[in-house]
Amino acid sequence: MPVELVELEGHIIDSLIFAKVLDVILAAGGDYRVVDVEIGKTNTDVSTARLEVSAPDDAALASLLEALQVHGANRVTVVDATLEPCAGDGVLPAAFYSTTNLPTQVRVGERWVDVENAEMDCALVVDDDGRAHTVPMHRVRRGDRVVVGGDGVRVQAPERPRGANPFEFMASEVSSEKPKGLLVAEVAARIRRARAGGGRLLAVTGPAVVHTGAAPDLARLVREGWVDVLFSGNGFATHDIESNVLGTSLGVSIREGVPTEGGHANHLRVINEVRRRGSIAAAVEDGFVRGGVMYECVKRRVPFVLGGSLRDDGPLPDVITDVVAAADAMRALVPGVTVALMLASTLHAIATGNLLPAGVETYCVDINQAVVTKLADRGSHQALGIVTDVGLFLRELAAALCP
Amino acid sequence: MCPPEHFGVLYEINPWMHREVPVDLDRARDEWERLRATVESAGAHVEVLDPRPGLPDLVFTANAGLVEGDRFVPSRFRHPQRQPEVAHDAAWFSSHGFVITPLPEDVHHEGAGDALPFGGVLLSGYRFRSDAASHTVLSKLLGLPVRSLELVDPRLYHLDLTFCPLDDRRAIVAPSGWDAYGRQVVEALVPEPLVLDDDEALSFCANSVVVGTTVIMPVCPARVGRLLEGWGFEVVESPVDEFLKAGGGCRCLTLALDVRLA
Repeated sequence: MPVELVELEGHIIDSLIFAKVLDVILAAGGDYRVVDVEIGKTNTDVSTARLEVSAPDDAALASLLEALQVHGANRVTVVDATLEPCAGDGVLPAAFYSTTNLPTQVRVGERWVDVENAEMDCALVVDDDGRAHTVPMHRVRRGDRVVVGGDGVRVQAPERPRGANPFEFMASEVSSEKPKGLLVAEVAARIRRARAGGGRLLAVTGPAVVHTGAAPDLARLVREGWVDVLFSGNGFATHDIESNVLGTSLGVSIREGVPTEGGHANHLRVINEVRRRGSIAAAVEDGFVRGGVMYECVKRRVPFVLGGSLRDDGPLPDVITDVVAAADAMRALVPGVTVALMLASTLHAIATGNLLPAGVETYCVDINQAVVTKLADRGSHQALGIVTDVGLFLRELAAALCP
Repeated sequence: MCPPEHFGVLYEINPWMHREVPVDLDRARDEWERLRATVESAGAHVEVLDPRPGLPDLVFTANAGLVEGDRFVPSRFRHPQRQPEVAHDAAWFSSHGFVITPLPEDVHHEGAGDALPFGGVLLSGYRFRSDAASHTVLSKLLGLPVRSLELVDPRLYHLDLTFCPLDDRRAIVAPSGWDAYGRQVVEALVPEPLVLDDDEALSFCANSVVVGTTVIMPVCPARVGRLLEGWGFEVVESPVDEFLKAGGGCRCLTLALDVRLA
């Protein structure tokens, strides 16, 4: 539906003009979204309201806007976004518009065009055919037309949270003092709902998933088809394979919880054996790896990205050590994801949070409240923090989803 | 007030005006003189604005602009026929010590014809002559809350044909001239309204000049007279039939100069 922004100013509350304008819109078969209302504080202060008015088609919108003008509601004049070509590969014009992860529209040819892939901290590139999409700095090419300045760009603010239920809230509320059983049941219900709607589930995992003994539960979730994409690092994949091949995680017996003789080198030996075979998939194929999360991913063809870091041992041959390339590989798997589980991971979780559109329901599970808060604070508007042991969380989640 | 030397129906900008219905200028002069005498005998002092040829509606001084203390906000007329009145009005106010505060050029507002103070706010009409947008401008210019009323009957094209403040609690009101929202606004604002029916409203009895407790109107319907007298007002009829041909009543022919809105 075509949309325009109108502004209303004056003693619009006491004069019932505001109510009248809303009624006029609905009576005309249109719809509105109140963008903001500023109520005058004193008797003499004027109030201001901005409304996004929509109607079934351009003609209906034009006549509605004309009707609203009589009551003092004027279209906020908007200009097309200013576009400037990139002077070189990987370098943006100085005044480039920096994106948020919220649904965004760009004014091109006097029409609002939806930005195709919301991602924060990117540039907005408009194609020759008028389509608009986000592009990270390093991916722009010389001559790409980039939006500069804020004119002709609008961002749809996240819905204001309503209700006391933390899931209705979904607004960076983090607490260690919430009944976990209920939270897990609700997460499971939401995952089922997302899947029923054709959404994809992304799991982002840290090594603690293995250390806490939760890898078999996650493996079960992968095996039963609940996980569609996995983002992680060298540590998680290594310990997942180590625990399945040698029964230890960083040399500590998963079963007895005690360090094993010479166990400190177990993960290095495992990495070495996988490197010998060339890839995790090859290690699965020849029977070196016979179970675990990575095994299930290979078997079920669940795509995964292992991003490298400075302190990685080995690393495993699948690890992408060029971090820019790793982020691009992750970026390519984001479309279609509607639910993200951030499981005891700090760096990969935050990196993923940066890539996701704001609408993706994100659950961040960590024993450390600071990690949960950090992710939620980075602008992931639909992030719910759950402060708990990831091992207990995954056990209950697997029990709920794979009965 | 402005004497009707050059008055006439020379164009048609409201449903009352018909160029083929001639104005009897002698009768108009008599009616005007009588109205002036009535206003003066009620206790008001009348200043006179010089008439100008080619400006027949200059007699309707209520539309000249808004007076607030020593400030004068000249009207921005909707119709080009009346726009030349502005310079003449502003010159008079300027030469009489008023500070001229103009409205921006992109709004229309027809002065006291479309804005009347009541209960600490300025009620202002819009649609036929004044714009809703002008109300916000006026509010900022004068530092006053403005309540906007949408006028819906083209025969009652100015607010002063539908609303007449009597004192700080009472007003003559013609709700048939307003939309449902406007009616609610007035209902909330006026503790004791004298509500006119359609016929009463179309007799222009809301277009009254109020001087103290004297209410001067062209013709007073019996019911309205009884109610006003019951409230302690004295009603004086001052026929202005010739001016009704141009869609103006008693109040339209006057502009109060002792107005302090704030």
